Amino acid sequence: MPRTDFTEQLRLRLTELGCPIAHLRRLVQEVADHHEDLKQAALSEGLSEANAEARANVQLGDPLALAEHLMVALRRSSWWGRHFLIGFCVLPLLAVPVLWALLLFLGLSLEFALGYGWDWKKLNVAADNPVAFHHLAIAVHGADYVAIALATLLFCWLARRSVVSVRWMLTSCVICSLYALFFWATIKPHHFALGITWTPQWIRAVIPLLIAGAIYVFQRRTTQCFQERVAV
Amino acid sequence: MLTSIMVIGIIAVMKKTNPSFLNGVPELLVLRLLAAREMYGYQIVEEIRTRTGEALSFGEGCIYPYLHYLEAEKQVSSQRREVEGRNRNYYKLTARGRKRLEELTTEWKRVTTGVTQLMGVQHA
Repeated sequence: MPRTDFTEQLRLRLTELGCPIAHLRRLVQEVADHHEDLKQAALSEGLSEANAEARANVQLGDPLALAEHLMVALRRSSWWGRHFLIGFCVLPLLAVPVLWALLLFLGLSLEFALGYGWDWKKLNVAADNPVAFHHLAIAVHGADYVAIALATLLFCWLARRSVVSVRWMLTSCVICSLYALFFWATIKPHHFALGITWTPQWIRAVIPLLIAGAIYVFQRRTTQCFQERVAV
Repeated sequence: MLTSIMVIGIIAVMKKTNPSFLNGVPELLVLRLLAAREMYGYQIVEEIRTRTGEALSFGEGCIYPYLHYLEAEKQVSSQRREVEGRNRNYYKLTARGRKRLEELTTEWKRVTTGVTQLMGVQHA
């Protein structure tokens, strides 16, 4: 397939707009095929090569505008792309506690499998046993940290999948981070508490930001590598 | 699902006066065409243009995200093949797409019957 200026401009604009590479490759390939079909149709009508190329370009329109149309259409093809405010601002607030509860339940089930949990007498005995309590504390705090990381990864993946702009991915990460900063869960012998604290939990808050940063850098590098490879 | 995406591809070409009840029409047209035979993007655009007497048309190139959406919904499947020296992505209807086409066709007939009746009464 000849790489025309049209498809090159389209590819560059789609890359700039943050189109995932898998989508980008396929879209550019199909639009290039379409361009070639339009050109062949013009040639079959007796137009010269240059005129056929020009007519195909006119029929497909401005490649930059087409790239934007394609991105809008891609975004609107998923629920997350159509409802990004709910999806990336509100749902992260709900996802973290739900994931946390789920993981805690799984953790406590594991504790139960190991011989503790679900039996208050055993739990009371375990609370007085430093080794057993340590296991319980690891389950509670582990679930907490893993839930924050999982929720962040989930929303980053959803943002990427629904082709929304990077700022929505970062927004969901910041919301997860703010949640982690002020939401508080602690366990002590014979005492478990949940709530909001005004003492920021910096370590927990850093987890989503680190994940967001890593994903952002990874995406940038992947895009740059793709650009370089295509340019060659 | 009659989603707003269907309008995106055609807004560039369709008249500005197209009312919102045309939502879902592109889905019906694409599925109907693919029910007859497998086709590639350019063919679909051309068929819609010619067979509707140019009353309806997808914006050139805008059909692809829409086809990808239908593929994600498992209503169509695609395969890249070489035919007559040209490599293209061919789309064909799946069983789910066929079922969806039946639903849309029933809905479309219901709506057009209602509109035709109303118009008939008005003209009587």
